[in-house]
Amino acid sequence: MVSDGGFGRVRRLLDDDEPGTAVVVLAAAVAAAVLSPLVWLLVGASSLDADAAVSLLTSGTATTVLVNSLVLAAVVTAASVVLGVPLAVLTVQTDLPFRRLWTVLAALPLVVPSYIGAFAYVSAFGPSGALADLLAPLGIGIPTVYGLGGTALVLTLFTYPYVFLTTRASLLSFDATQLEAARTLNHTYPEAFRRVILPQIAPGVTAGALLVALYTISDFGTPAIMRYDVFTRVIYVELNSFGVGRANATLLSMQLLAVTALILALESRVGGDAAAGYGTPSSVETVVSLGRFRWVAAAAAGGVSLFTLALPVGILGMWLVRSGPGYGGGGLAFHPAFAANSVYAAALTAGVTVLFALPVAYYAGRSESAFAALVERATYLGYAMPGVVLGLALVFFSSQWLRDAVGPTAAQLVYQSLPLLVFAYVVRFLPQAVGSTRSSVLGVDRDLIGAARLLGASPRRAFRRVTLPLISPGLLAGAALVFLTTMKELDTTLILHPTGFTTIVTYIWRVQEAGYYGRAALPALVLIAVSGLSMIPLLSGGRDDA
Amino acid sequence: MTERRYGRRRVLAGLGAAGLSGLAGCGGFTPEQNEATGTDGAGNGTVGGTAGDSFGEFRGSGPLAEGRGDVGGTAIADLPDLSGELTIYLGGGEGGLYRDLLARFEGMYDDFSYNARESGTSDAANTLINEGSATPADVFWSVDAGSLAAVANRGLTAKLPSNVVDPVPDEFHPDDQWVGTAGRARAVPYNTSALSGGDVPDSVMEFPNSEALANAMGWAPTYGAFQAFVTAMRLIEGADATRQWLRGMLDAGVSEYNNEFLVSNAVADGELDAGFANHYYALRVKASRPNAPLDLAFTSGDAGALINAAGAEVLSASGNQELAFTFVRHLLSAEAQEFFATRTYAYPMIPDIPPVGGLPTIDELNPPSIDLSRLSEIQPTLELMRDVGVL
Repeated sequence: MVSDGGFGRVRRLLDDDEPGTAVVVLAAAVAAAVLSPLVWLLVGASSLDADAAVSLLTSGTATTVLVNSLVLAAVVTAASVVLGVPLAVLTVQTDLPFRRLWTVLAALPLVVPSYIGAFAYVSAFGPSGALADLLAPLGIGIPTVYGLGGTALVLTLFTYPYVFLTTRASLLSFDATQLEAARTLNHTYPEAFRRVILPQIAPGVTAGALLVALYTISDFGTPAIMRYDVFTRVIYVELNSFGVGRANATLLSMQLLAVTALILALESRVGGDAAAGYGTPSSVETVVSLGRFRWVAAAAAGGVSLFTLALPVGILGMWLVRSGPGYGGGGLAFHPAFAANSVYAAALTAGVTVLFALPVAYYAGRSESAFAALVERATYLGYAMPGVVLGLALVFFSSQWLRDAVGPTAAQLVYQSLPLLVFAYVVRFLPQAVGSTRSSVLGVDRDLIGAARLLGASPRRAFRRVTLPLISPGLLAGAALVFLTTMKELDTTLILHPTGFTTIVTYIWRVQEAGYYGRAALPALVLIAVSGLSMIPLLSGGRDDA
Repeated sequence: MTERRYGRRRVLAGLGAAGLSGLAGCGGFTPEQNEATGTDGAGNGTVGGTAGDSFGEFRGSGPLAEGRGDVGGTAIADLPDLSGELTIYLGGGEGGLYRDLLARFEGMYDDFSYNARESGTSDAANTLINEGSATPADVFWSVDAGSLAAVANRGLTAKLPSNVVDPVPDEFHPDDQWVGTAGRARAVPYNTSALSGGDVPDSVMEFPNSEALANAMGWAPTYGAFQAFVTAMRLIEGADATRQWLRGMLDAGVSEYNNEFLVSNAVADGELDAGFANHYYALRVKASRPNAPLDLAFTSGDAGALINAAGAEVLSASGNQELAFTFVRHLLSAEAQEFFATRTYAYPMIPDIPPVGGLPTIDELNPPSIDLSRLSEIQPTLELMRDVGVL
């Protein structure tokens, strides 16, 4: 993958390609903005006295949840790679029948909120669960869904799309002629995959795996429902108490962030820029013919969808049908405007996040400097901040602090406003866009930019005409990820939404919190359907010919 | 079903008999209603009032609300009008039912409008604490007394005038910083196919030693109402006895659930023989499945008989306190209390208004004497639960 070194002028122009000051400043500003809520964590935790802090952090529970969180993150991440990478390869590089359908279906589980996914699995496979009862007469016993196994299973099924989408973006930027070359050298496909494709998609896979790992340790709903003791479960409990509990929750959140920093450091060693890319724009033709295995592969993809989509939808349908006053009672009915609010906020967030992510990803993908790495890594920290903790931090900043520092009008303008909510989403979800964009930037052939410069294009023009089109699959994948996760985000939304701005998810929370599961079924189905439809343009925006 | 066993909980006989034999008594469950509701989920009885009585707007329908006549208390017509705009933070909100009531108030007055936001009880309390005096809220209306007290303890609330709190028994407005609007009793839902009422001990402290309940009980330790119950136990029996009790329950093989509706549901399904839950969850399961083998038992005079309250308080930073006080009086009106009783199956706070479904009255329940504001002292409870390994 070493380019012909004969073009001295191109090399010199490539050195110019090191990001300019404006990009560096922008990237650093973005990182500083999304890290700002951490200040509140420090303030909050400082109210604890040192002895209490040490005893909390060294207590048996704290050690247990630390180990449990790490184990869970490792298992879910590994399983997500095993599930996500083959699906991405199948839907991008093979002649799998109905590729576009499978692409959407493989990405869609991401829209299922974990509290619904986990609840569906407990309803289906828990003690006296709908499917457990169905299978029992056939002599099929189901191992307990509670604990590590069930938690890891559910989280994997609903987060593997991170790996799927980032891997897919890398594959779309991958130069298929290299694969052809490898195969003319008598490599079999598996061999060629290992030697040619894998090194190039590695940044994409690790970007997705990192998102899975961080999502796993920051998720509230699943471990709580599946009864597995991790950080978030303990933080939740502390926040439900008052007084010292608030400081304890803050301290535990900081410990969670420390763990996150550890994972980030670990990932930057494993994940690599080894494949700092010299690929040409992707080819569009199908690379691998599956032959009669086409249908086997389609069945496998269908099997995954059965567990990630059909099962939760089926369980929700069951609650819908079952609903009587006990399950179906409750107040005001679901309104289509709630869905419109969800889509509006999520689309806005996706757009803003991609704009924020671009300088960071470009800087990190183009510069070898330690500062670039630091800026990029820093944007990941907010992702591991539990939504409630982030929400409460912003409450303090935008009401009390802003009123005292700037004035009551400013506080009224900012607090409980849509821009503040979108900012909170950006803090939480920026890494989703940074990761996939950065791996696309890495995949851009620098010689192409050199060539553009050689032909007299300014750096800005070269970026717009060459780089931007080439990284668009990564940007789109990032936008899709952010859109989908924003659609289902609950904790921050509940605390910061503008008054009267009901979304699908806050409505689901409203009825489900009081146990009216029947009323949660319809909006949950709407959430999945609306998100699914929204994915079609996002996914076909890539160079997907299927 | 042993007749003798009903002695202690005679008041619930109607509830149990309706489910098992179809002999519904007055105010009990009617199987006919079940046929009508059927399995098609048409949702009969979820909305609308019973025609022909003065509570038509507010009273729920369905088997539990039937046969209720006029009740006492102050009618809305006798209260000052609501006029102006209120910002109300809801902690919980009963699946939208609180919004439903707010909309009814808005419909009654031309000059009244409201902004409501809801989140979890502790999220809402934490939000109010973080906002401090910069809060846009006028009223905090929450389903848990502990969250109300937590905000009041920070000095963020205004003292409620006597014309607001007087109709309510003293224990539900201990310092007049908040007032109860609906009661939620701790109860023991049990499966009538597996147990008879007499198998459920009269004292909650005896549960770990009960042979009949071994390996068949469920609880929801991360659920706020359960933690309030353990807090009450800690305040009444002391930390050591509570620790021992929790350990004993673990040794007796108690199963953990995510919330108390699921506990009650699991009891109805026979997955559990009995559980710890707020009383209204079992009533909701019964209202939806009148034939479920489910009944309620109550312990006596101890933490197991705690009655927690949903309640309201007025923020001291509000520039609209008079309107806010009048609003809280509306929550305590006969119509609103009837609304809570028949739609959320809560205990009304006005003694003249009875609870639904043959539930024992608050006096019959013999709740422990405990300052409900102290239910906000959850922290030591959590430490204790963590020590034991329950959390």
